[in-house]
Amino acid sequence: MPLYRFRSRRCSGMASAPAAFLDPAMLARISDLALLARTVVDGFMHGQHRSIRKGSSSDFAEHRSYQPGDDLRRIDWRVFGRTDRFYVKEYEADTNASVTFILDASGSMDFGSGPLTKFRYGQFLVASLAWLSQKQGDRVGLATFSKDLTDIVPASTRHLQLLLHTLSRAKVGGPSQLVRAVDKISHLTTRSGIIVLVTDCYDSADSVANSIGSLRMRGHDVIVFHLIDTAERDFPYSAATTFEDAETGARLPLRPEDLRGKYQKLLGDHHAALTRRLANTGADYVRVYTDQPLDRALHEYLDRRLARSRVR
Amino acid sequence: MGFLFPAFLAAMAALSVPIVLHLRHRDKDRPQRFPSLMFLEQLPIRTAQRRRVTDLPLLLLRALALALIVFAFARPVFSKEESVKKTERVRAVVVLLDRSMSMGYKDVWKTALDSARAVINTIGTGDRVSVVVFDEEAEIIQALTNDKAAALSSLSSAKPVSRGTHFAAALRAARQVLVAAPEATSEVVFITDLQRSGVAGVAGLDLPSSINVRSISVGSKERGNSAVANVEVRRIVEPTRTMVGVQARVSSRELTAERKAKVTLMLNGRPSGTRDVTIPVSGDVPVSFEPVLLPSGRVSGYVSIDNDALAVDDTLHFALAGDDGVDVLLVIPGDALRDETLYFERALAVGQAPSIRIEEVRGDQLEGPKLQKAALVVLWDSPTPTGRAGAALADWVTRGGGLAVVAGRRLAARGNGGVGARSNDSGSAAPAATRLVPAKFVGAADRLADRGGTLGDVRLDHPLFAPFRDASAALSAVRFLRYPRMEATAGAEVIARFDDGLPAVIDRREGTGKVLLVGMPLDAASGDFPLQPAFLPFLKRMVLYTAGRDAPRLWRTTGQSWLLPASLKEPAVTIPDGSIVRPPRDTVGSTVALNAAGVYSVYDGKVQGEPKDLLAVNAPATESDLTPVDAKELLIGVRQTNDSTASAGDVPTRVETESRQRLWRLLLIAAVLLLFAETVFANRGWRGTATRMKAVLPAGSE
Repeated sequence: MPLYRFRSRRCSGMASAPAAFLDPAMLARISDLALLARTVVDGFMHGQHRSIRKGSSSDFAEHRSYQPGDDLRRIDWRVFGRTDRFYVKEYEADTNASVTFILDASGSMDFGSGPLTKFRYGQFLVASLAWLSQKQGDRVGLATFSKDLTDIVPASTRHLQLLLHTLSRAKVGGPSQLVRAVDKISHLTTRSGIIVLVTDCYDSADSVANSIGSLRMRGHDVIVFHLIDTAERDFPYSAATTFEDAETGARLPLRPEDLRGKYQKLLGDHHAALTRRLANTGADYVRVYTDQPLDRALHEYLDRRLARSRVR
Repeated sequence: MGFLFPAFLAAMAALSVPIVLHLRHRDKDRPQRFPSLMFLEQLPIRTAQRRRVTDLPLLLLRALALALIVFAFARPVFSKEESVKKTERVRAVVVLLDRSMSMGYKDVWKTALDSARAVINTIGTGDRVSVVVFDEEAEIIQALTNDKAAALSSLSSAKPVSRGTHFAAALRAARQVLVAAPEATSEVVFITDLQRSGVAGVAGLDLPSSINVRSISVGSKERGNSAVANVEVRRIVEPTRTMVGVQARVSSRELTAERKAKVTLMLNGRPSGTRDVTIPVSGDVPVSFEPVLLPSGRVSGYVSIDNDALAVDDTLHFALAGDDGVDVLLVIPGDALRDETLYFERALAVGQAPSIRIEEVRGDQLEGPKLQKAALVVLWDSPTPTGRAGAALADWVTRGGGLAVVAGRRLAARGNGGVGARSNDSGSAAPAATRLVPAKFVGAADRLADRGGTLGDVRLDHPLFAPFRDASAALSAVRFLRYPRMEATAGAEVIARFDDGLPAVIDRREGTGKVLLVGMPLDAASGDFPLQPAFLPFLKRMVLYTAGRDAPRLWRTTGQSWLLPASLKEPAVTIPDGSIVRPPRDTVGSTVALNAAGVYSVYDGKVQGEPKDLLAVNAPATESDLTPVDAKELLIGVRQTNDSTASAGDVPTRVETESRQRLWRLLLIAAVLLLFAETVFANRGWRGTATRMKAVLPAGSE
């Protein structure tokens, strides 16, 4: 099975204009996430004037308990000889940062009025950010969730392919338990790093903010990408229709024409509350519409990444 | 318009499908997936919308298309009248002209003739007309013809008669006439006063549905009428003479005011009484005349009132015999006890209406003038006579005489063969008399042990038991100790049985006469019948019934026939208009049709001297009631039949059949066009947008 596969000849022709690959409509034609991520990042980095700063160090920092996925060569065998326990030696500037991506895989993400569903868009976004992080020497990890955590890839500099593979195999569906998933992630990550949460935030702003707040309390930098479909925003329906909840399957007959204004007001209030509450927690909140190119999200990420000065 | 395959119309139930779909399609067909109802659920929801049809034009379009398809498959077919223009077909018109007695009221008949002429004059070229006059019967006075003058001239011979009305007879005649014109548009025109009494019999009549029936009412708006409705004659027998008392009843309906009238009684052409009465607006008034001396011989008469607008019913004729006594020849066996027939004779001697005269004779005396004069022969426990007397008796019974056989211990003792057992050996004439007895005797039943038997099964509907219809207990109280065992012969009718099932009374018609076999003991030795109250009325009834005098009528109504006495060799009848009719004889006898009201006199041979018999005839009393029926009610109950059985001429041509069925193609084309319009309509505007606004494929489905 070839590692890269083009869906059409047009994709190769587009290489001369990498920025076009940031368009979601174009990205929908690429089935391989690795290719997509590399294409997006290359296209995004094309024309960037400043180089990414890389930190490095070989000073011993501390021992920590062995975690599944850790490189066996890092185990300190001397300590094992004394204590019969596995410890891993960590050094200052071994990595620039540990970036964990949390992707919402609930049923509500399986919706899209355009060429991409929110989940697909989220996959592209996570893959691109992971590729970008890898190029900077960051450790990358992944967690997907719906009503519980479903896939977990611990953060590592060598887990990019595993991350992409897991990401491409992720299934979408089921109810969303955002708060519960975030809480679990906060317990699994022992070292502070960057948490990138990609979700549609169908939960109360207070609950989301409280969960993000707990991550912040553990020293994580948090970036929340709030994915919104244009149909969610514009509510363009006119005929009397029965609406079906993508997560629970509940149905509700409505006349959208009569309710559009009230719906958009409720949605606007929700977005404003998220913006305000997450800002209070110190997290970054980025609202991304699925018909927009990925570069805005990448910019937001890089700005946040560069602003991070502290490395372990 | 009808349908070739009406069963397909059941598919109309499929119309409920689009309605249900329109009511439920949002629930079942295309629910709009949405990421979350978190915000929508916070909005006020008008759930009443879900069960309302919100797209009525589309629903109507779909329902109409479906209905047209169903109609097309049911194959609508136009009826003959609808598919073929009436102007293209000739007409066959039957004029039914009422000539019943009521049409003689005021100027009704003149109006009827004018109406008939007007209908005939509307006949166009190629059309045909027939004229039928009717009363209780219908008479075709002009068959279907296109000769208008002939039809008009046929009306000149028509006039009202003293008979009743029967619309059913007229319709039957019209149906018969129109069979000859199957290709034409059939029309029946009633010209009548729509008298309600004439409707009887119309219900249940079969009439082809292609026949158009209409009526022209010519009845007068004023329907006031008075008539002599009834006459009762009572004989008053005095020691030296016989008087007759007459009581009449004058009835009136819907008079504008009370009317004073003179009522006159005429007997044998002589005025016999006069009364002045005041006739009420509606109701009856009795009129009694002083008794007058009964004229000798046969008597006829009438009661009349001053004529009103309908003169025919102002006179009521009647006739009665000058001597109505019944002569009974009683044949008693030689060994009869002294008082054996005492109760029988005394019982029949009671009463004078009519008087019963009994003459005891021997069996061999039953011949000659004595037998011809008698009305009844009673064989009291005696066998039928033999020889000439037996033959004469058999002939006399066959020609209308009455024979009553009272069976007792003697006949029972004769055993098998009964009355005629000995007669079988006594010459060629004997079998004829033997056959008169409608049973064989097989011994006697003795009920002394169980205190006597009773009558078990009695046919109270038989005229013999008419006096006991309201008092049947009177018969069941009678005890019979001994009685003969009888077996009814073929053709005989057992009209009463004992409680052990044996026949008690057997009746049989013999020619025009009657034979009655009574197994019940009529003496006091074998039962207590003579001591019971039922004895006297039973005997009276037995004599009158068997003698044929059980229902003497003072008059008959027109429309009936008169069977003349068989004793007349060359009957000649004078009818009310004065003419003489000599009816031919056939196997039954001579019969005269009673078409006119008045007195009919029959003579034997020459018409002179005392008539042999008289018969009074009047129009039916119902004709005096001029109450009309609504024209719409006239045909209620008539069964419409299709014309397929009328004649081969009704079979439509191929072109005509095709033209009557071609609508289905148009319906199918219209349905296809509607479905095309529905497709366009359903995918334009917001309907099409709603369809395309669907959730995209889930992730990974590629």
